[in-house]
Amino acid sequence: MGKPKVGIYGLTGCAGDQLAILNCEDELLDIAGALDIKSFPMAMSGGDENCPLDIVFVDGAVVQPKDEELLKRLRERATLLVAIGTCAVWGGLPAMKSEIAREELKRKVYGRAGKIFDTTAPQHLSRFVKVDLSISGCPIEKEQLLQSVASLLHGDLPRLPNYAVCTECKMAEYPCVLLEKGQLCLGPITVAGCKARCPSYGQPCIGCRGPVEEANVSSEVRVLKEKGFTWFDIQNRLRTFAAPADCFEDKIFKEGANA
Amino acid sequence: MHKSIVIDHLCRVEGHGGITVRIKDGKVADVNMDIFEGPRFFEPLVVGRSYDEVAPILMRICAICSASHTVASLMAVESALGIEVSTQTRLLRELLVQGGNIESHALHLFCLSIPDFLGYPSAIALASDHLQEVKMGLELKKLGNTIQEAIGGRAIHSMNAVVGGFGRPPTREALLDLKGQLTKGLEQSLAAVDLVSGLEIPDFCTSPNIYAALSSDGSGYSLFGDRIALSTGDTKDIKMYKEICNERVVAHSHAKQSLFKGKPFAVGALARIALNGEKLSGQAKKAKDKLGLSSLSENMLDNNAAQAVEMVYSIERSLDIIDELLREGIKQEEPVEVRIRAGAGVGAVEAPRGTLYHSYSFDKAGRLTEADVITPTAQNLANIEKDLRISVENLIDESRESLGPKLEMVVRAYDPCISCAVHLVEVNLDEKRISKKESRRIT
Repeated sequence: MGKPKVGIYGLTGCAGDQLAILNCEDELLDIAGALDIKSFPMAMSGGDENCPLDIVFVDGAVVQPKDEELLKRLRERATLLVAIGTCAVWGGLPAMKSEIAREELKRKVYGRAGKIFDTTAPQHLSRFVKVDLSISGCPIEKEQLLQSVASLLHGDLPRLPNYAVCTECKMAEYPCVLLEKGQLCLGPITVAGCKARCPSYGQPCIGCRGPVEEANVSSEVRVLKEKGFTWFDIQNRLRTFAAPADCFEDKIFKEGANA
Repeated sequence: MHKSIVIDHLCRVEGHGGITVRIKDGKVADVNMDIFEGPRFFEPLVVGRSYDEVAPILMRICAICSASHTVASLMAVESALGIEVSTQTRLLRELLVQGGNIESHALHLFCLSIPDFLGYPSAIALASDHLQEVKMGLELKKLGNTIQEAIGGRAIHSMNAVVGGFGRPPTREALLDLKGQLTKGLEQSLAAVDLVSGLEIPDFCTSPNIYAALSSDGSGYSLFGDRIALSTGDTKDIKMYKEICNERVVAHSHAKQSLFKGKPFAVGALARIALNGEKLSGQAKKAKDKLGLSSLSENMLDNNAAQAVEMVYSIERSLDIIDELLREGIKQEEPVEVRIRAGAGVGAVEAPRGTLYHSYSFDKAGRLTEADVITPTAQNLANIEKDLRISVENLIDESRESLGPKLEMVVRAYDPCISCAVHLVEVNLDEKRISKKESRRIT
């Protein structure tokens, strides 16, 4: 088999996960040599927008019909579709208040001229197409990206952590910002892979990587309430990066019902 | 003769945009810079959030300028809540912003823009013939990221810069390490200036520009300042930024456009050099003279040269900041304690692509009630359309195939950050004024 044909695309977002690829300065030319990059509109002109692809990397969320069309077209073209970044994997920041009608937001922001724009409630990629691999993070971590590219080149899917930031934090023996400093830390329910970056700087994990598998959200909420945080603040933090995740939606629905 | 040129998707820019030109009877009828990046409605998303949650959300408007967004956001929060940060914090924040400037300019020059001038579709293609130059560009880009990692904790979306200071200030050893890398980077940035000085800069988009940039009382060139200076001679306090950025909605764009006294204006590296260039010193001053940026340029394609000069400046300034921090002794200080109160404040920073404003109001519980963010690209959009129109008028006899790439070059010279531009501000619009006809009018 020759070099895999690859496309790198962005839907709506800050382009930070495409930038994270360009930020592999030491490896970039090797990556470009190992892959046959057919299209990467952020970094190259004249890409092939029709050829079949072995792998397509997609960052950003779907927030307008244009995004959905491009995503479906990329799915048709690619053997493997890799969602990169929390917007693509969980909806990210744009999905924070997706229950607010887009029409209302548009009217507030653009006035009557907003009528001509088409927007939809922000969603992650797997709501529309099959996603073969999800690399979350806001932004993604360089090491996970390189590890994933290396695995894909060998025809494998990478093994990404299925444990929590809290575990990484404990292993590194950082002081616990939740229990010792009383900060609103989501480390116990957020998926690892960042080496507990924020707690290592004395900052709480704000959940930018999205929830870990089988996250015990109820237990996290109970601990946070015991620490004196209000449901209003806890809910705000839970839904900052991954509001559409089932475990958060369920919890927010149940708390709402009990209120 | 009727013809139209439609560039569906601009490549080598951050975000999703295009260009539409309509030519009627041999004259340019319409020139639109189309912005179709999806809206994310950032400002409404932060309403109700606690003061310390605002920067981590709003820095994510943009990845490339996230250091500038972070610092402008923190400055606005602190101004609203009456927080005075330490000199060390101010210096570290400036270092973070300089790191962002180095990274962004290196990315734009080497990966996005220089391939245009040398006729390549990408930096990767350029590397096949000019490997050393591309490697040098990537090393400069990495230097900017290394600074952002060392100070901000992460290259994209800094998490170590917080309200009142830093989670964990860098160690003396980390600063010494940065100093070594910056010293090497300075040589490379001078080589980048040589490279740019050899490029032939076309003049098809030349026309008079109004420039705007922050102005400070200090004697040196700066990316900060409490006043906005315009090349018209006008100055404004940053709190009055709305008088400069009179935003209007246009139908072909998800981003609003800014006009000053009804005219488009430009922000960015070229605007800064035009307004504050005489304050440059050291190698950066020599680089400015070498690249012929001594007078007010009317050619936006010179923005690439201005970025090369600023890369030298940002490296020299970073070295000065580190020396000052080492001289004073870096302290492992905690962020300043916050006393919550109601208030409003503005923060402004010269981001890589121009002046960036964050403006917030908080209630007495420290929750955000109103946010307004004006990004550089939003300010530049009307000027980009002006330059596209001039270019088409100058090149009207050229074929579509030849004209298209030249128009892309003009847009790319502004280093537009389209994700940034579509941040969606909530402003009080006079709805009656935005009739369909008016909203489509081109300046």
